[in-house]
Amino acid sequence: MKLCSYVGCRTPWDLFSWIRNENMANTLTSSVIKTLFINPCCFQNPYIIATRNLSAASLLISKSIPCTISNPNSTFKHRNKKSFHTSTCSKTFWERDPKGGYVSKEKRSTIKTIREGLGELKNEIQLWKEEVKEKFEFDPLLLCRPGETDIFWQFGTEASNSKWVTTADSDHNEGFSTCELVTSPAGKGLFRGNLCTAVPKDGKVKKAGYCNMRCTRARKSFKRDSFYDWRMYTHLVIKVRGDGRPYFLNISTMGYFDVFWNDVYHYALYTRGGPYWQVSKVPFSKFFLSSKGRIQDKQAPVNLDRVSHFGISLGDKVEGPFQLEIDYIGLEFDPTHTEEFAYEMYQLPKFIAAN
Amino acid sequence: MLGPKVFNHSICLSCLISRAPVPLPFRYVKSCLRITGGTELSRAFTVSKIYASKNNVDQKDIVPKEYFDKVGNKNKQNYLDMVRIFEGRGAHRRGHVEFIYSALRHMEEFGVHKDLEAYKRLIDVFPKGKFIPTNIFQAEFMHYPKQQQCAIDLLEQMEENGVIPDAETEDILLNIFGKSGHPLRKYWRMMYWMPKFKNLNPWPLPNPVPNDSLELAKLALQQMSSVDLQSSVTEYKTSDVKDSVDDTWVVSVQSPTQMELLEAHPEETPIFVEGAFRVWLRNTSVNYFILRADPTPLSNYDNIASDPDDVGELKTPFEEPVNSAVRLAPSVHEQEEGTVLAMCATGTSSRDSLLSWIRLLQEANPRLSVIPVLFSLRSPFGQVIPIHHPEENQQSSAKVSDK
Repeated sequence: MKLCSYVGCRTPWDLFSWIRNENMANTLTSSVIKTLFINPCCFQNPYIIATRNLSAASLLISKSIPCTISNPNSTFKHRNKKSFHTSTCSKTFWERDPKGGYVSKEKRSTIKTIREGLGELKNEIQLWKEEVKEKFEFDPLLLCRPGETDIFWQFGTEASNSKWVTTADSDHNEGFSTCELVTSPAGKGLFRGNLCTAVPKDGKVKKAGYCNMRCTRARKSFKRDSFYDWRMYTHLVIKVRGDGRPYFLNISTMGYFDVFWNDVYHYALYTRGGPYWQVSKVPFSKFFLSSKGRIQDKQAPVNLDRVSHFGISLGDKVEGPFQLEIDYIGLEFDPTHTEEFAYEMYQLPKFIAAN
Repeated sequence: MLGPKVFNHSICLSCLISRAPVPLPFRYVKSCLRITGGTELSRAFTVSKIYASKNNVDQKDIVPKEYFDKVGNKNKQNYLDMVRIFEGRGAHRRGHVEFIYSALRHMEEFGVHKDLEAYKRLIDVFPKGKFIPTNIFQAEFMHYPKQQQCAIDLLEQMEENGVIPDAETEDILLNIFGKSGHPLRKYWRMMYWMPKFKNLNPWPLPNPVPNDSLELAKLALQQMSSVDLQSSVTEYKTSDVKDSVDDTWVVSVQSPTQMELLEAHPEETPIFVEGAFRVWLRNTSVNYFILRADPTPLSNYDNIASDPDDVGELKTPFEEPVNSAVRLAPSVHEQEEGTVLAMCATGTSSRDSLLSWIRLLQEANPRLSVIPVLFSLRSPFGQVIPIHHPEENQQSSAKVSDK
């Protein structure tokens, strides 16, 4: 039987000093000490010393060395996850899934999955039929007239609202903000909710307070991923009636490899507030690249043929209710806009930034 | 007891911190461990009480928890004094990382969380010179990680609070961490992006916004009425109105176009006072009300459903009567959901103050005296925030008539 125990000391010196003080060198043979290893976690963490030898571990525990002890039955990975962080700590270079660990923990029975899958088959075949038809017709949009807005998402109906997913920090018990996308009294989309910056006292979350809405992934039939191709356009046009708060427009360009999974291009959408509609024309050249909320050193214009999602989020650190009424989100081609990318790049000395 | 002996002992310092330029022979390290017993050595580097063993009564926290809590008068001057006191406690500045983290946590209480000077004083607490890497390996592997992380966290807090550092901050950081330090990289990133984002808002607001609710209301109405450049914000006193109960201010905004629309409004159709709605100015919100008319019906010309592909009913343009239903393009105030005729914010947001607002508007808009005005709790413009009045029924709608 393999048993694991973990003992966390603040420094390896704690352990060595304890061994020396207690004359433990005799009890703990060198072979036992060899089974102890130190986990090089991030610096705020206590050093975690693990042993595969339960007797050695219990010996360490029984002598009151300054250490923390975890559940002996837990796995090492589990222990790592539960350890206290004051900042995000990346344990590995690779990412397990595109959702960054926020996958649904719901267990589904196989029969239920099959039944639901068969239910979806009808819609998928319909989609596939459309695709085949499209292929034979071959009538793509070849020209977009300057100054005309092609509406991409129109809001206001239940069907249009269902294409969007709203998320907030309260979804994963990482905050207390709430939000929803409903139909407004004027018959348009209304993204509303309450932003709360209170941090839950779980010792892990440092900051809280975001609300977000994101469209479902661009896809083909049978759940195959695809991308929106916006290369023909230069501007994103959005007709909103806001409440004076600044929002973020997010264009995700998910790549194939895990390092590109979280590539999101942002730009701010400032709202006027008041009863008047506002049409904002945001050039794609102004969008800047970030990953997991951190602006990247190496910037590049948006890959407009690789747009996987579009979203709007709020996180202005101001507690209180918000509402953003959205009429449509469209695209426009403006031939007078010649700017390719708004942010100049510099050649830096080696190893200073990611270049 | 170990005391200061260890720290004067060059071997111990070198072997433990492993920062010696020349690696020491192993036997020195061993002898050193034997001399000092190891335990005290490790404790000398342990700053938190949690990890110190109980029988060590001499152990003191470097930064007591109540260091900032016990200050009676929490202001900027006292905050800077606390930093000065810490710096004066010894040449070694022992526990400065803990001190800075503690100081960062208490910034908001002292009201210095948006103050560049306070941040600069805190960065200045780091000892100069010691943390500068001397070779490329040290530079690459984050020399003095705890200190560098502390400085990065400090800069991050500046970023969170929208404080843009200045050139002097760079000099201080350069003297502490050298040009390859991670805090410097963070600083350069901040200096690239923060000025770019600083003035993005097309409706600029003072930072911080004023505390006075009247000034806030003026700012809010100016911002909202920026759709029509001719709009003018006017401030009234309700005491100027006869029979008014509340004594407060009313800030109203109306443009000449709105006056014309109101003048052309038919007598029999009512107009509505709706609200309150909320508008945010940075971190504060203002409640406002609108005077709304039902949307203008489209003219006959717009209602003609014409199918350009239908050839069943061709017309010659010469025979067609001149279409007199052609009208001017609707103004910005004529929204789909209704026509906005005026906006206001009042000191109390009470129904009485709104009544006074309508009366005050009558001076410039004489037609208001004949048009029925309804106070509505619903609006096609969105959900209204209920304003609670103990004496009034929620469903009642008061009719104003000055006939």
